[in-house]
Amino acid sequence: MKRIGYSSALLTLALMCLAWGSPAPAQDKPAAPAKLQASSIQILMVQSDEVKLPIEFQLALYENVIDQVQKTNKFQHVYRDGDTTAASASDLVTLHSNVYGFKHGSEEARQVTTVAGATMIKVHVKVTDKAGKELISQDVTGKVRFIGGNLRATLDFGKKVAQLLVTNSQ
Amino acid sequence: MKMRRVVAILFGATVLVSGLGSLAPPSYGQDASTNPRSFPDSKMVIGLEGIKNHTTGTLSAENGSLVFTKGKKKVEVPASSITEVLTGKDTERTIGGTVGTMTMFAPYGGGRFLSLFRTKIDTLSIEYVDKSGGIHGAIFTLGQGNSWSAKGALLAQGAKTSVPLEKEIEEQAKPKGKKQ
Repeated sequence: MKRIGYSSALLTLALMCLAWGSPAPAQDKPAAPAKLQASSIQILMVQSDEVKLPIEFQLALYENVIDQVQKTNKFQHVYRDGDTTAASASDLVTLHSNVYGFKHGSEEARQVTTVAGATMIKVHVKVTDKAGKELISQDVTGKVRFIGGNLRATLDFGKKVAQLLVTNSQ
Repeated sequence: MKMRRVVAILFGATVLVSGLGSLAPPSYGQDASTNPRSFPDSKMVIGLEGIKNHTTGTLSAENGSLVFTKGKKKVEVPASSITEVLTGKDTERTIGGTVGTMTMFAPYGGGRFLSLFRTKIDTLSIEYVDKSGGIHGAIFTLGQGNSWSAKGALLAQGAKTSVPLEKEIEEQAKPKGKKQ
């Protein structure tokens, strides 16, 4: 009988400790980023204000992002930069990409040494709504370490951006 | 006797002409000896709508358009809608594609050794605008020495560029420190 009393006291104590150590109620948490609810997206041409990016990389980044975002089927319309029909879309979000880091690797070095010659593109990605409010702001890195040409880093970037949009949309 | 002399003169003339031809400076667009505005074995790497990426076909500039043909498939981009044409240089594995990838798993570093054999290629990047104003980018690879004549042909058809061809030739002629 005494043993049961001890056990229940210990259990109560443990529960109290757990309650004490448990995270604060939900209202104290930082607000979770707003989920994308848009049915249309406009993808702007990749900018590179800080670094000199070869045009083939700039175009491949842009085209791969469009390709990969279309493949997700998360948006009814994927508009290109400059598309005038995008203005009529009611719930449109805009994807901005700005390259801030670029390392032009070498396919030959990659294939011969395995460890050297990686191509890396660091891009700051931002999604805004029609009013210009930031919905997503994140750094994304596209890279190719072993198999494939240097432009494969742009495909990697496109896939990551598409994934980012999928995880942040409802 | 007279006939022999004629044959000898004709033979000599042929040898002389062919010899002079080889001494002539290489014009940009060697591959396009038959048609200076057509570039067979060009690869569309990415961006041309209606054609699968990494398709090899014929790139040509004719009737005021850029035309990419692969078998029966033909995609035309009006040259007037092309806002930028830039060339570049690159290399690719001589043994490429799936076979090239497979060789990378060859024993005793065989694949690595084969990676050292590379072919020089030219790249041609274009930016164009569709009917609704949307910007497109397309990248092609061509045989070495063909990108300048392809750019020249496109400019002649009405395409625009921010870097004149002469300046681009000058810039690419400068030796580079690092091998790509």
